[in-house]
Amino acid sequence: MPNAMLHVDQLRVEFVTDTGIVRAVNDISFELHEGQTLGIVGESGSGKTVANLAIMGLVPQPPGRIVSGHITFGGRNLRNLSNRDWSKIRGRQISMIFQDPMTALNPYMTIADQMREVTQRHLGHRRRTAIDHAVEMLERVGIPAASQRVFDYPHQFSGGMRQRVMIAMALSCKPEVLIADEPTTALDVTIQAQILDLMKQLQEDEGTAIIFITHDLGVVANICQDVLVMYAGRIVEQAQVGPLFRQPLHPYTLGLLKSGPRWDQRVAGQLETIDGQPPDLTQLPDGCAFAPRCPYVQDRCQRELPQLLFAGTAGGSQRGQACFHDLSTPAAGAVEEVDR
Amino acid sequence: MTVGHSQSEQVPLLRVRNLKVHFRGRDGWFSAASAIRAVDGVCFELRAGETLGLVGESGCGKTTTARAILNLVPVTAGSVELAGTCTSGLSESAMQPYRREVQMIFQDPFASLNPRMTVGRIIAEPMEIFRLYDTRQRRLEVMRLMDLVGLNPSTLNRYPHEFSGGQRQRIGIARALAVEPRLLVCDEAVSALDVSIQAQVINLLKDLQQRLGLAYLFISHDLAVVRHIADRVGVMYLGRIVELAAAEALYSNPRHPYTQALLSAAPVPDPERERHHQRIALRGEVPSPDREYPGCPFADRCHLVEAGCHRTPPRLEGDAHRVACLLPTTDRPVPS
Repeated sequence: MPNAMLHVDQLRVEFVTDTGIVRAVNDISFELHEGQTLGIVGESGSGKTVANLAIMGLVPQPPGRIVSGHITFGGRNLRNLSNRDWSKIRGRQISMIFQDPMTALNPYMTIADQMREVTQRHLGHRRRTAIDHAVEMLERVGIPAASQRVFDYPHQFSGGMRQRVMIAMALSCKPEVLIADEPTTALDVTIQAQILDLMKQLQEDEGTAIIFITHDLGVVANICQDVLVMYAGRIVEQAQVGPLFRQPLHPYTLGLLKSGPRWDQRVAGQLETIDGQPPDLTQLPDGCAFAPRCPYVQDRCQRELPQLLFAGTAGGSQRGQACFHDLSTPAAGAVEEVDR
Repeated sequence: MTVGHSQSEQVPLLRVRNLKVHFRGRDGWFSAASAIRAVDGVCFELRAGETLGLVGESGCGKTTTARAILNLVPVTAGSVELAGTCTSGLSESAMQPYRREVQMIFQDPFASLNPRMTVGRIIAEPMEIFRLYDTRQRRLEVMRLMDLVGLNPSTLNRYPHEFSGGQRQRIGIARALAVEPRLLVCDEAVSALDVSIQAQVINLLKDLQQRLGLAYLFISHDLAVVRHIADRVGVMYLGRIVELAAAEALYSNPRHPYTQALLSAAPVPDPERERHHQRIALRGEVPSPDREYPGCPFADRCHLVEAGCHRTPPRLEGDAHRVACLLPTTDRPVPS
């Protein structure tokens, strides 16, 4: 496969808590390529955020610990980096956008001061150049009157504008990898649409590789090319976005697609649901973690852990699933005719 | 004590007339305080057993409308009638009997339950306030309610933190049902839940409605959830309802330009459609509700704006499908 920029191999992350060891990420492996937008989908506690904090070297240790695995970026194993080396990469080559721009921005600093901190450190800009650069970035993300607003404080911006500021800041050193953790979840749909378009445009211009973490399948369909579906800290399915929605191979993916209502379709009667509750990450079973909720469960699922197996490659992307059951019969049915 | 059950079926369960809730804005150093027009002339009716959805973006006034119905914020103008009786402006004690008729389900099942109370006490508390049943019967009633909402009645001595988010929302529903209300106001009641759990709670709400004949005022920013649960839907913008119609009509044939833009911005889980979908791009963001608009408040951002829109305020007009627009886009499909 062509130039994987980022390679995650058998990553395992745990947290030590009063109630036991929370196994947040369990042996996940994936690659990220130049210009790719990789979606990571899953519900609360599926490990999608922790996996990416590990990539950024931001898992708090303790209580967290990276038990095993490699994270390779540009030929270097990021796990062995010193704080000093990390600070040269973070914000420069890999940067991150967080869900809540109000808590991620410093309320005591003007946008100009927060943005110039990044470029003065990484690009060696002088103060004046750094502020000019900040204004230019703010203009690119569509902030009106950027040359004045750059001296405002975060509270003077609306939620959508703050998220634009976050994006401008994350992109100000032209990172090779951008990790976006639910960047539009706190925003209204019309603003979300603007931000998604903006990210697509910036990616087209710069060729940035994006990891897009979300629980919203509509957003995945809109912006991602490839998708990882996570459940209980494992990748249960991996596919290109088209095939994933057309024909999901894992019962959990199928359940997710069926249980979400759509505004453009009428569902008569009850919604399909995934029975039961999400698993307790301190007491994961030996077998498949989804087995207690799975409509296709077999005896084997309780004893044995299904591995993520790949069935050939299509267009440079591998299709994988971790399930003993074969769902690949037709009418697995995510895409029905639009009712309009 | 139950209010208004004897009223004829002609009287809607809830009637909101020209409701306005204005808050005092922040004083400027050199200027007088301006009014924040959170709700600015909302009218609708809700019949027994019906679900009305209210959708709109942050700051459009959905939650303030709900709070005004429950008399939790002072009403500036207009009225709220419950089963034919005007309840807006009633004192807390005069309002008390009506609180039994209308109960609320909140968004955050982690913040809305008292962590120091057992589930049994949380559900029994409204019965105590209204002096319903004796102690023994209350306990039976709590167990019946827990069973009704799909909780195991044997867990009634546990505390909220021992339950998952979906289960906590069921506790909130059981508590709301404890005084046998006829109307439940659900403010983003399923928004904090994961998709798989959200579907379970939506199904529960629909099931309870059929069994108990409940009416819902269902407030949400999630257009898909509202389509699924509501019979009729109102779209709010800057404190006003700009379109009000049967759910099917509204979603398949949105006539207000704002509704069209809102629907067009909401992504659907279909990559093929997303790739070819042309969005209606709205300029800017929802403006602050602290100024008065001589014309249509949406005119500044509207993709179909004409000169007259800035001068003449549109009224919510029509019979079954009501639209507040000078040029409602009849049968113009959403570009897709």
